[in-house]
Amino acid sequence: MTDLVIETKGLTKTLGGRNVVDKLDLRIKRGDIYGFLGPNGAGKTTTIKMLLGLARPSSGQVRLFGRSIRKERVALLRKVGSLVEYPSYYGHLNAKENLETIRLLLPGVRRSRIDEVLSIVRLTKDAQRQVKGYSLGMKQRLGIAAALLGEPELLILDEPTNGLDPSGIIEIRELIRSMPGQYGMTVLVSSHLLTEVGQMATEVGIVSKGKLVFQDRLEVLKGRSRQQIHIRLNDQQRAFNLLHAHGFKAELTDGRLYVPKADDQRIASVVRMLVQQGIEISRVEEEGDTLESVFLHMTGGEGGL
Amino acid sequence: MRRLLASEFLKLRRKMIWFLIVLGPAGVIALQAVNYGLRFDYLMKNYAGDPWGYLIKNVSMLLIPALLMGMTIISSMIATLEHHTNAWKQTIALPVSRTKLYLGKFAVTTMLLLVSTVLVLAGTVALGLIFGFELQALPWDTLLIALYGAFIGALPYLAVQIWLAVTLNNQAIPLTVGISGLVLSMLMINGSSSKNWLPWKWPYLALLEPVFPVAAGLAASAVLYLLGSLHFARKDVG
Ligand SMILES: Nc1ncnc2c1ncn2[C@@H]1O[C@H](COP(=O)(O)OP(=O)(O)OP(=O)(O)O)[C@@H](O)[C@H]1O
Ligand SMILES: [Mg+2]
Repeated sequence: MTDLVIETKGLTKTLGGRNVVDKLDLRIKRGDIYGFLGPNGAGKTTTIKMLLGLARPSSGQVRLFGRSIRKERVALLRKVGSLVEYPSYYGHLNAKENLETIRLLLPGVRRSRIDEVLSIVRLTKDAQRQVKGYSLGMKQRLGIAAALLGEPELLILDEPTNGLDPSGIIEIRELIRSMPGQYGMTVLVSSHLLTEVGQMATEVGIVSKGKLVFQDRLEVLKGRSRQQIHIRLNDQQRAFNLLHAHGFKAELTDGRLYVPKADDQRIASVVRMLVQQGIEISRVEEEGDTLESVFLHMTGGEGGL
Repeated sequence: MRRLLASEFLKLRRKMIWFLIVLGPAGVIALQAVNYGLRFDYLMKNYAGDPWGYLIKNVSMLLIPALLMGMTIISSMIATLEHHTNAWKQTIALPVSRTKLYLGKFAVTTMLLLVSTVLVLAGTVALGLIFGFELQALPWDTLLIALYGAFIGALPYLAVQIWLAVTLNNQAIPLTVGISGLVLSMLMINGSSSKNWLPWKWPYLALLEPVFPVAAGLAASAVLYLLGSLHFARKDVG
């Protein structure tokens, strides 16, 4: 038995005659922060709903903590906190009352935990106000507080930074990043933005049109981003010929000269050689495939940022 | 179950629901007070033999439509609490079985409506006493059967309303079905007794002959409740 907190096998959901989730094999280990990425409509929310037993798989299976969600849903959900899509709340109740309606259904959670989670998401000051008067970002924080209420071992957050302002995004990101270390949690967080996930995830899974197109450590994905060096100079064609004559790789596209990314010394020798041959260099810059363009490439270019 | 009910009742805070629970019975009793106030001497002369029995009959004729209306509106309001921000996806992802959540919704609605019937009961007795009826002469069995026989006779109706309200986002459907049922039941009050098998007549039958509507009401509501609960347990959450 490996220490997989989430494992799906051939997970499929057919909606309207289409496989919106198509044979997904997710593997999320204890202590991971798993970034679950995909453009709009890729099937992230549908997958998450099946992980939580909110929707039934058309085929395939879901295991949480090595046990089947279909057979042991109630026992397993005690260890899971979740926020799916946009936040849910009872607008006529204040934040404390909202959390109390949830706490009553979580065995073994003290009342004082409500104040703790409110302070974690910085809502203490507004705790007595009716939630219908909250801003979108405050409702989102309340949703995260609700997910944290039961001190879950697994936290599933579907686009948790939706509607947050930049400082709120950073705050939540830091919070998520601290989860495994501080509380021993495993986190699954979905997003459309690789750059955002890239700042907190340890593992990344990318879905496109219901299919898992990538699943590995974040570093592996970063390794795939092909960086190039763009050199701006006065005579591209002559420089290109010179580079080839001296055994350097180079590429000339759209009148722009690129050399592959390499260590500083090698780039320095490229520059020195060109200058010695009388070429005037005005700029040397890194360019090309960012994480985001790798993502766009994998998901067929549609959607994303 | 106690915590589930506590959670459900907490959700009712600051809602109109409690107000309606009191308003319904107050309306029923007030209308009877007006009815008697306008023609007190006439009624007293005609029904001198059984003043309590006649009052109970009058109250129950108003109570039943009010109860059906209450079942429609309250179950819809209880369900709307969850539909409004799709809180279902949060509630159902909690460690509680779906059949238990369904039972919770059914139980809260039933308890609220029972509070209403207790208020009607108290109001009826108070009204009789104000009119000068003798407390010793009060036929408690008739009163209880009239109120709770009707309640049980209407339970199948409640089971359908809860099912529709809880499983459909669009509350226009349960409201339309509920109000159509209410109108149908009023049209049937004076229909021939050969149609007594029609569930819409059951609440009204309790006053005449309680055994059948109570038995049929319990059996039919149990079946409808189980079907609704089963559907809710299997349904995907939107
Ligand atoms: N009830 C339904 N019937 C038919 N198609 C559906 C239904 N629900 C969702 N879909 C489709 O399933 C696909 C996946 O939707 P899902 O909400 O899982 O995507 P997502 O990855 O969460 O997207 P987003 O980033 O926009 O939240 C979409 O194309 C959507 O149109
Ligand atoms: Mg989504």
